[in-house]
Amino acid sequence: MRSIAIALAVARKDLVSEWRSRELVPALAQFVVLALVIANFGFQIDSINAPAIAPGVLWLALVFAGLVAFGRAFAAEKEQASLEQVILTSAPAAAIFAGKALAAAALLVLCEAVLLPALSLFFGTPLSLALAAAVFLATIGMASLGCLFAAMVAQLRAREVMLPLLTLPLWIPFIVAGGQAVQVMMGGGGSYGQALWLLIDFDILFVVLTSLAARFVLDE
Amino acid sequence: MNRYLVAAAASVALMLVAAAFIFFFAPTDALQGPVQRIFYLHVSSAIAAFVSFAVVVVGSVAYLWRESIVGDRVARSAALVGVVFTTVTLVMGMMWAKPIWGTFWTWDARLTSTLVLWIIYAGYLLVRRLAAPGRQAARFAAVVGIFGFVDVPVVYFSVTWWRTVHPGPVISTDALPPEMLFTFLFTMFCTLVLAAVMIAVRYRIEALSDAQPAAQFVLQAARRSTS
Repeated sequence: MRSIAIALAVARKDLVSEWRSRELVPALAQFVVLALVIANFGFQIDSINAPAIAPGVLWLALVFAGLVAFGRAFAAEKEQASLEQVILTSAPAAAIFAGKALAAAALLVLCEAVLLPALSLFFGTPLSLALAAAVFLATIGMASLGCLFAAMVAQLRAREVMLPLLTLPLWIPFIVAGGQAVQVMMGGGGSYGQALWLLIDFDILFVVLTSLAARFVLDE
Repeated sequence: MNRYLVAAAASVALMLVAAAFIFFFAPTDALQGPVQRIFYLHVSSAIAAFVSFAVVVVGSVAYLWRESIVGDRVARSAALVGVVFTTVTLVMGMMWAKPIWGTFWTWDARLTSTLVLWIIYAGYLLVRRLAAPGRQAARFAAVVGIFGFVDVPVVYFSVTWWRTVHPGPVISTDALPPEMLFTFLFTMFCTLVLAAVMIAVRYRIEALSDAQPAAQFVLQAARRSTS
């Protein structure tokens, strides 16, 4: 119970500080819209090829927005030297980690609330609850892995380079399964249900693993 | 002569014997021709790579669980050797794929997961380099090593949805004639011996550099000033 309270307190602290500064979410929202604009010029989008290209653009924009969001979650603490103080408290590392991951995931979900309608608007693809559900499930797993490695690279040199290098390979399962689900929703073949169950399985696996690993990363 | 030199010479000699078997004993494949001979070393080095990464996981768990410095050194050594054998596997596989499949690369489950394996453990080596030497480097690397090992089967599984073009297992299905089977098993044995010797030599180097913190410090400072 205490751990859950700590996790919620940490998440609340991060969300309040984001609400007061309003730095990250507007920048990320602008970034994902910009990614769609760039994709439009890169791929020569028209009404015929849009449904085939849109899922790829969605995941690329989301992956890079995620890297920025999760990187900031710990980089800001490190810059203000507050990470050490948070770690020095008697709170379990897994609870601190869960709180940070929760807040970062919430920020990414806000950013998805801009990305999905924008994609639908610019690419003419259908927007549905099922699509949002797949993206949301992938976000959970991506946030847990992304925050674990963000916590690690915040303590390394060359952190900007290392976060994508360590995180992207581990995100591949989520992008494969999430990509499959989104493709089905945009008119491709395959099974949506199977992809969704896989996403849930991957979420459980990596949420458990990252919580176990948190105490080895958040301890100096 | 020291025992590392003897072991290294013996493992190289074994590899040369294996090469003789591959080129002069094993029959030429009826369909693929001489290109099929790549199979023996390709599959053997893939197995050596997986075994090395399994050793990384065992060493990493030993480190996280008991702070075993031996476990950490074993993991460090095996990761480097595993990356070397994964590189061999990928390069030889591409050389085989070009004449047989008509392309160097395809996004098949086995190819994709092997490439991901290579990327993750290359990242492992980078973490070792960029973290503060000692406890931090050992802990962070151990976490990366364990996550990488869990991730790869998951990647394999998730990509298997798409039709996979990689030849399936041939050993368990009795598809190999006895000469080929013998050549393969012998090559695999020699490759595993080579990998074990490489890990042992690397372990010795790591142990020596751990024992020389001053030398390590100079090395780190030199790296920092050049990067």
